[in-house]
Amino acid sequence: MRNNFSYKRLLLYLLIIGILFLYLFPLLWQLSTSLKEGEEVFSGYNLIPKKLTWSNYEIAWSQFNVRKYLTNTIFVSGIIMLGTLICCSMAGYAFGQLQFPGRDFLFFFYLGTMMVPQAVTLIPSYYIILRLNLANTFSGLILPFFFGSAFGTFLLRQFYMTLSKDLFEAATIDGAGYFQIWWKIMFPLSKPAVATLGVMTLVSQWNSLLWPLVITQSPALKVLAVGLSDFRLFRNIQWNSLMAAVIISILPMLIILFSAQKFFVKGIQFSGMNR
Amino acid sequence: MGNILTPTASTLKPRTSQKQRWRQWVAGYLMILPNLLGFLIFMLIPIISTVVLGFTKWDLVNIPQWVGIANYKNLFGDRIFWLSFKKTIWFTLLNVPIQSFLALLVAVLLNRKLRALNLFRTLFIIPWICMPVAVGLTWIWLFNTQFGYINHVLINLGLERIGWLTSGNLALYAVLFVNIWQYLGWHIILLLAGLQIVPQELYEAATVDGANNWINFWKITIPMISPIFFYDLVVNMIMTMQIFDLPFAMTNGGPGNATRVFNLYLYQKGFSFLQMGEACSMGVILFILIIIATFLLFRFLGSRVNYDMY
Repeated sequence: MRNNFSYKRLLLYLLIIGILFLYLFPLLWQLSTSLKEGEEVFSGYNLIPKKLTWSNYEIAWSQFNVRKYLTNTIFVSGIIMLGTLICCSMAGYAFGQLQFPGRDFLFFFYLGTMMVPQAVTLIPSYYIILRLNLANTFSGLILPFFFGSAFGTFLLRQFYMTLSKDLFEAATIDGAGYFQIWWKIMFPLSKPAVATLGVMTLVSQWNSLLWPLVITQSPALKVLAVGLSDFRLFRNIQWNSLMAAVIISILPMLIILFSAQKFFVKGIQFSGMNR
Repeated sequence: MGNILTPTASTLKPRTSQKQRWRQWVAGYLMILPNLLGFLIFMLIPIISTVVLGFTKWDLVNIPQWVGIANYKNLFGDRIFWLSFKKTIWFTLLNVPIQSFLALLVAVLLNRKLRALNLFRTLFIIPWICMPVAVGLTWIWLFNTQFGYINHVLINLGLERIGWLTSGNLALYAVLFVNIWQYLGWHIILLLAGLQIVPQELYEAATVDGANNWINFWKITIPMISPIFFYDLVVNMIMTMQIFDLPFAMTNGGPGNATRVFNLYLYQKGFSFLQMGEACSMGVILFILIIIATFLLFRFLGSRVNYDMY
């Protein structure tokens, strides 16, 4: 009886691992191609390179400009994430714990706009940035997203609403300012929610293509998504170096994924289960 | 005065004087201000502007000219508009059920007390965190007619090479496949969460009554997970209708117009052809489409959702 049980388990694990291997095969293939030398790329289909080389990464890094793209992406995503965290936390706290006229009406308005596709806000936003003379600048890349999104405020508001009212009342008794209450007490308590929002924002901004595509022309400002997309129309692509560039673009997110797994999971769950 | 968390002896009830309430109002408005500002400038005003601009002809350089519904008339007479419209709807119709059901199957498979569950979950999300551009490039390589791995497998199976991305008939399905692949993990996570709140007792009671896994799946799992599955379908639909990155990165709308999905055509109308007015009209149409589709989903599937557990 017990033997049966563990055989079934083993089979299950093997099945899952098998599925995972198939599922992640494209990524393994990416890695494999990036480590191959030129001739091997077109001459065989082995997963493990016969000759391992790091030269592709060097080419991607310097020749393909990936170093610049990477630093740009880190800079832009990082700043947007910071701005989003602060602005959405404050707003989420205010919507979740403070009382002021029009609070709920305004919040439902926020919620309504979450269904609006990006295509609808794209062109006027572009025009606004253009008129502010911020087209083709880092500020233009960052500004529309810096003040946070409705989603972020929603996430944090839901969190703040779960904090006990007694805590809030006890804090207000001593006459401390509401901002101080937030900064000294509520914000530190909201670390899990903030981490979740941070991770979601980072992924969304790191991978964002449409807005940077529209706003940036100079190569010096391009983020990874835009820089890589330039390659799609090339005739004779150097696949091994390109795959190296692709791996570099994924690696930071991969590292963050494995160090903050549960926040990714929470973020996804919140996206789908909040209505 | 004591620390901030312990009430001092002199106050036994929180003061809710007018002044206190007023301070709260001010604090409230101030604290939502940055977020609200961003919302007003980059969400609300653009939405209204897009609707208005949809009635104009505008090339970004000159002043927009009012043309009434001419844009919409032009679009409805535009062959490529209809192509992109139909392709996007077809794409969504295929993507949503296939992806969500596949995700459900995998989620059911993973929904056990596995020690490595967290690791498995994380591994499934990896494609989702990759940028669509990176994914697109990788699959261009995999789908490469001459040297791609997929055709290599086909040749080994005795079949012929297929021009996945060069064939007008197949390109859309190739992109569809990659889309399903990339976001499958996202849906698996969501549905897994839904599965995990189904009470174990239901399964145990059913098994006692002689039910097998198949019956359990249809009579217990599906109804119990239907609320979250339904929301997954809705969210999936909304996200898929707006797809841009993958078709842009993989085929740029081609070959011909094979993968010119709605959002891609909109982008090209606006930023390649500088027909901003018409691009805005398309944006409005897309928004309306999404609302209609959401309404239809609620109308026809909403009633079959089982809320017993809630």
